[in-house]
Amino acid sequence: MANLHDSRDIETSTTAVATEAAPDSKTRRYDRQLRLWAASGQNALESSRILVISGSATSTSILKNLVLPGIGHFTILDPQKVTPEDAGNNFFLEGPSSIGKSRAEEAVRLLGELNDDVEGKADVRSLEDVLVNDREWLSEFTIVIAHNLAAGPLDQLATLLWEDLSYPPLVVVRSAGFLAEFYIQYHEHTVIESHPETAQSLQIDKPFPALLKYSTTLDFANMDVTDHSHVPYVIILVRLLDEWKKSHNGSPPSTYDEKKEFKQTIRDMRKKDDEENFEEAEAQAYRTWTTTSVPSEIRELFKDPQVLSLTPTSPPFFHLVHALKRFTEEHASHTLPLTSTLPDMKANTESYIHLQKLYKTRAEEEKAIFKSFLQVPISDDTIDSFVKNSHALKLLRGKKWGALDADPAALAAAIDTAPKQLAIHLALSALSSFTAKHQLGSPLAPTEEALTSEAQALLPPGTELPEEFGDAVGEIVRAPTADLPNTAALLGGVVAQEVIKMITKQYIPINGSCVIDLIETWTGIL
Amino acid sequence: MASQSNGASDWPGRYYHIDQVLNTPGPRTDPEFLAGDGVKDFLRNKAKILVIGAGGLGCEILANLALTGFKDIHVIDMDTIDISNLNRQFLFRQKDVGKPKATVAAEFIMQRVPGVKVTPYFGKIQDKDDDYYMQFNLVICGLDSVEARRWMNATLVNLVDPENPESLKPMIDGGTEGFKGQARVILPTVTSCYECSLDMLNKPTAFPICTIANTPRLPEHCIEWASVLEWPRVQGDKKMDTDDPEHIGWLYKVAAARASEFNIEGVTWSLTQGVVKNIIPAIASTNAIIAAACCNEAFKIATSSAAYLNNYFMLIGTDGVYSYTFEHEKRDDCPVCGGESLDMVISPNMTVEQLIETLVEKQDIQIKKPSLSTSTKQIYLQAPPQLEESTRPNLEKKVSELVPSGGEVTVTASTLPFSLSLSIKYS
Ligand SMILES: [Zn+2]
Repeated sequence: MANLHDSRDIETSTTAVATEAAPDSKTRRYDRQLRLWAASGQNALESSRILVISGSATSTSILKNLVLPGIGHFTILDPQKVTPEDAGNNFFLEGPSSIGKSRAEEAVRLLGELNDDVEGKADVRSLEDVLVNDREWLSEFTIVIAHNLAAGPLDQLATLLWEDLSYPPLVVVRSAGFLAEFYIQYHEHTVIESHPETAQSLQIDKPFPALLKYSTTLDFANMDVTDHSHVPYVIILVRLLDEWKKSHNGSPPSTYDEKKEFKQTIRDMRKKDDEENFEEAEAQAYRTWTTTSVPSEIRELFKDPQVLSLTPTSPPFFHLVHALKRFTEEHASHTLPLTSTLPDMKANTESYIHLQKLYKTRAEEEKAIFKSFLQVPISDDTIDSFVKNSHALKLLRGKKWGALDADPAALAAAIDTAPKQLAIHLALSALSSFTAKHQLGSPLAPTEEALTSEAQALLPPGTELPEEFGDAVGEIVRAPTADLPNTAALLGGVVAQEVIKMITKQYIPINGSCVIDLIETWTGIL
Repeated sequence: MASQSNGASDWPGRYYHIDQVLNTPGPRTDPEFLAGDGVKDFLRNKAKILVIGAGGLGCEILANLALTGFKDIHVIDMDTIDISNLNRQFLFRQKDVGKPKATVAAEFIMQRVPGVKVTPYFGKIQDKDDDYYMQFNLVICGLDSVEARRWMNATLVNLVDPENPESLKPMIDGGTEGFKGQARVILPTVTSCYECSLDMLNKPTAFPICTIANTPRLPEHCIEWASVLEWPRVQGDKKMDTDDPEHIGWLYKVAAARASEFNIEGVTWSLTQGVVKNIIPAIASTNAIIAAACCNEAFKIATSSAAYLNNYFMLIGTDGVYSYTFEHEKRDDCPVCGGESLDMVISPNMTVEQLIETLVEKQDIQIKKPSLSTSTKQIYLQAPPQLEESTRPNLEKKVSELVPSGGEVTVTASTLPFSLSLSIKYS
């Protein structure tokens, strides 16, 4: 193949098309994470304000993983002074030299060194003080994270943040020794960019007019062998399906024998044995008999009360879903809008680019129709992203922290469905109730009996605790106040991942309680 | 201060948290657990632990080990600090860019956690011999290279002497990619080893050279064209340095020009860099999870304070928190720990060259540049040059002309400290 650049100076011939300059130092610093959540996710992080209650080892571990990727601001709320015990297990304290100083101030200082672009603030008030005198202050934050708070103040905090929608979501984190649990309290969380593993349908079973026309009029018979072996499989399938339907009352192959027969028609079309595009067509033949329809989870979304009773002030997500619903109802194919992203396939450049152009043109047309159904102005970037991800949208509805423990029937049901997870949850809840009754000043030394009766009290009368409860409660009794460095570090990672997903509204956060057992090393959702 | 000896820097209450699990056993603790002073003495005064890698996982691993009470930690890393490390490798600052990771990390830990001794080695794991590895109780790997893991795994398996229980060094291995990661415990010769699970690795995306040269369709094809074909053609012998912004800039320009010529969209600076450096997304939080899981296993194995992972934990954080803990099975035909030869059925027409290509491609083998021999003759040797030249004519011969059915072929490669036996049969 002739090389067009041979006779030209590469530098001068190319400056015109390569428009980007080398990345600046911030882009270089964040390169490895921008590949996961792009500039939109990064902007969301940089605008976020995070409140963490207590400067425990777990709290600073969580914050470390949020300061590094560049949140905008964090506050540590903690009235306590650093104890010798704190100085031994918290990496964001400087050993004995921090003892006696404010735990919040020391942690903020050392966490701040991780990233100059992040603002950190120590607040030495107690949560109780804030709850009584400065509740409004909590609404300044994007999300609140609380580690091992006493049951009373935690409950007040959770209730306050739940009851008024202007308050942020709350992440409740509890741990003791090798066991841990966390929960995100939110009313509603919507995700457009869920980063699904599966691609949108190419709609080969319902080809749009331009694709059908191109596929059925392409002159396969007079093509030379090289061109013939570079026709994209999409074209081959659309054409053969059209022919098949003409002789089968308009139906695609459906029985096993018909599918076999259809695959034979693909093989019969080859000009020589080793045409890879035809091999691909055979491998992808299922696309002709798999009906493209609206995924059930998306159909469920259409029935959501927020969609059915849309008002001009509804969040943009619901306006978009409403428009999507109309699109699928009114568009002839009753599918989601066509995707413009084509996977790679065996083809020569011209035929691939041509096919890509057909898809792009059609996708633009369908997007314009979709857009005409929108009742409020929404940015083009959001619309693009929404249409591209319309097969993988997510709407999560959450519950208030404590709802599970207030529902004995739900707990009893979990004995059968998730006994291991429930055992750890109950053991941690039992520790929390036990601690609430404990006299300050004396060492906290719960017995198995005491914790078992606390757990039992949560269940309907006469219900037996799950078998696994013994192992869980034994571990809690062994280490009731241990904030182990490895448990703290692991929680720091998982909780930060979830907080990043909540803030960026990318990927899908948990809905429920995430339980962690670091003895057998597993995590589970309750 | 860092220079203080073990014990002298401990203050009352320092190990309040850790001691709760060292003073008492739990319901699932091995009866052999020496609760109290015995286990504390071993952990704080005797245990010697090796960390391979001082990068994303390594920084986290070092901090966790230091806080849990390991006081004699060694770390090996051959890299220097790059600006793109700073979003997660939290022991490094802007001023450290260009310095060796192992040294900076070791100094930071010793300064932050009093009484812990971290001995850095700025170099390759291959520089060290069996005696060196023999001194440790445990090895934790936080590496991003498959080759280095295979080398370390094979070295530790080879180290095992059935007569000497001390020679069995548990290897704990972690790896991450984006929101996903895995941690595993390998007891060399006892459990499945790293080599046993090679087929679990994702196959790297390779673009056929004819697509790159003749029928580009994706922006990646244009970038590969710039780096694989145009760079050597235009730049001659000049070595491409993927860390040099000027080199990336050149590749980006050339790739963008080709893309525009073919009406292909999507060549960007970031994609160019991603393709030529094979960049894997990496974030602090995932590294924290996997490093913590690794260190937790190290702690449990070193102290017997709780049962340890048997033997594989993987976590996917893209959709909720999904994890899967399972026992990965040992492979009898594992070239490192299995002992049995690997059955290979090939066509009687397959040439030696084709066999070599198959070995490079095969997911459970993946040997780059293999040399082949039988017990009586050399089939093809990649080095030294004289032997390569004298065995080169064999490449075109059929394997069946050189090896009888049922015959054994030994496969070696300079990068791997083991050989693979193939039992050849013809279809
Ligand atoms: Zn093995």
